[in-house]
Amino acid sequence: MFHNFKYTLKTLFRTKALIFWTFAFPIILGLFFNMAFSNLENDEKIKVFDIAIVNNQAYEENIIYKNVLDELNDKVYTAKYVSKEEAETLLEDRQIYGYLYFDGDNPEIYVRKSGIYQTILKFIIEEVEQRKNVLNNIALKEGYNFSNVAEDIMTKLDSEVLTLNNKSNSNLSYTVIEFYTLIAMAAMYGGTIGLNAINSSLANMGEVGKRSSITPTKKSVLVISKAIASYIVALTGIAILMLFLYFVIHVDFGSNLLYVILLAFVGTLAGTSLGILVASAFKCSHDAKIGIIIAVTMFLSVLAGMMGITLKYVIDTNLPFVNMLNPCNMITDGFYALYYYNTLNRFWFDIVSLLLFTILCLIISSVLIRREKYDSI
Amino acid sequence: MKNIVEVKNLTKEYKNLKAIDNLSFEIRKGEILGLLGPNGSGKSTTINSILSLLKTSSGSIKIFGSEMTPSSYDIKRKIGVVFQEVAVFNELTVYENIDYFCGLYIEDKKLRAKYIEEAIQLVGLENFKKFYPKQLSGGLLRRLNIACGIAHKPELIFLDEPTVAVDPQSRNNILEGIKKLRDNGATICYTTHYMEEVEILCDRVIILDKGKILASGTIDELKQLTNIEEKVTIEVDNLSDKYISEITEFKNVDTISYNGSILVVTYKKGKNNLTDMVNYLNNKKIKYDKIFSERPTLNDVFLELTGKELRD
Repeated sequence: MFHNFKYTLKTLFRTKALIFWTFAFPIILGLFFNMAFSNLENDEKIKVFDIAIVNNQAYEENIIYKNVLDELNDKVYTAKYVSKEEAETLLEDRQIYGYLYFDGDNPEIYVRKSGIYQTILKFIIEEVEQRKNVLNNIALKEGYNFSNVAEDIMTKLDSEVLTLNNKSNSNLSYTVIEFYTLIAMAAMYGGTIGLNAINSSLANMGEVGKRSSITPTKKSVLVISKAIASYIVALTGIAILMLFLYFVIHVDFGSNLLYVILLAFVGTLAGTSLGILVASAFKCSHDAKIGIIIAVTMFLSVLAGMMGITLKYVIDTNLPFVNMLNPCNMITDGFYALYYYNTLNRFWFDIVSLLLFTILCLIISSVLIRREKYDSI
Repeated sequence: MKNIVEVKNLTKEYKNLKAIDNLSFEIRKGEILGLLGPNGSGKSTTINSILSLLKTSSGSIKIFGSEMTPSSYDIKRKIGVVFQEVAVFNELTVYENIDYFCGLYIEDKKLRAKYIEEAIQLVGLENFKKFYPKQLSGGLLRRLNIACGIAHKPELIFLDEPTVAVDPQSRNNILEGIKKLRDNGATICYTTHYMEEVEILCDRVIILDKGKILASGTIDELKQLTNIEEKVTIEVDNLSDKYISEITEFKNVDTISYNGSILVVTYKKGKNNLTDMVNYLNNKKIKYDKIFSERPTLNDVFLELTGKELRD
């Protein structure tokens, strides 16, 4: 087994295309991200943002909204109380992110484009709306303190959207999510390494596979030793990327270093397993299989937030099952959970999800690889 | 002579095609058996079926007296295979490639190192040990392919068209190497569509076409299957119909063909056919460039059995 393991390592470390995609490409992408986000980062740190509230009669009469929104003013946003025309002008001039207009009991939200502040505004209105029936009864009692509701909403806002005081005491940054997704993408690219190694053990995948299949070395020994070697190569790539992100780009991974390492190990395992699954499940050319892994990984990375946190948030909110099944999101979310949350529940959920994904890939692969004779080769 | 391989009623069907049709044959200890046939005749499918890589539709395969299955590791240990396509790792050097594949058979490092050196010597790659496959010519690459398949000193070797697209020097080297393997005690099954190689190399030949055995035997036995005994070829321009019809009347002539520059005359039997032809041409003062006589080839046998050339 060691003989096969040793030569698989040699072969993989000398495969230029693999070295590029696994080692160099994520680092290059990281540099681009850093250049692209460094200015954005300064501009886009979560801050108290400007909105307008149309100060009409409907707003004045809507006591619940009025009290809660007043409580949140200067904490989450700074509100200007203006007429509808003035609010429209402010929005046009981009002096505010959005405005609220009350026509009857419920407010309408007006924004120019989607974004994190617009999402927060929508979140607040939805939260107040959900509590309205309860508040209607309580509000009848004189002296009710609406700041409790506002605090409740802010607490939920902290945990669900972005907490305002992260554990590492650095400035809140939501662009780190792109770098976390980059690690997830690199981990899943480990699939190309697993694919490369396993393909050379299967008789129906090429001449080297045929030659390996007629040797007295058991297929299980071939596959397992190659899988372990692939995992080590993929893990090396992830380690280099994370060291680069930490020391060069200064990406903050929070303070739980052991958990970060654990997540890197498990994420890479999931990526390598995906490669083994693609190697054993698809009967197409080697290049086509590589294409499948790269395309799937890129797509899943985008869904997990590589091109902006908004898409991740939208999917988490509207299609939660999509990201629950998305291994890139599991890895991204794991780092995210370590960085933003005080508890590890979400982190462990991601770890278990990744392990389940890995086990599923390996079970399906082992069933497919166990086949000993082929209809055609 | 003891049979090393016994194939009985082997059939391999694809959806609408019988790639192998009820093949039965044996490979005897110490011989070089040639599987001769045009491309697509079922040679590679036969080898892949014998090696248990392919699912077969029916039939049985015994190697070294035991049934061959994918998990017959004791049998596999004694087999070496050189596939038609080069099967090496581009990222490993010549030496590393041979060491890798040899290591899948032999764990003892010292013994392996000795075997690798012998394999390198056999195929003449002594000066290329540290070269990567991409740095090798087509012929050298084929030699490496062979070394990877035989370095572990197998008792039974399958060589599937190992000389395709190889330069003459490498081809000679490869054929000499195969003879040495046989002389060292290996039993060899050699597939090719080059009849010249079969004639040089093989003790017995099986002629395959469309998955069926057309004929088998020693080369002399196969040549007896054809009606002709001698073939005379003359390079001559603008031979008139009168002369051609006169030649047709010669004693023992079987067939005659002329394409405007080359005249081929086959004879059923007899002696002095070439002398008679030279005398005739001289008497008629017909100028010719070259004239030579041949014994019938395996191609003639194949032509007679199938009505087509071996390389069609």
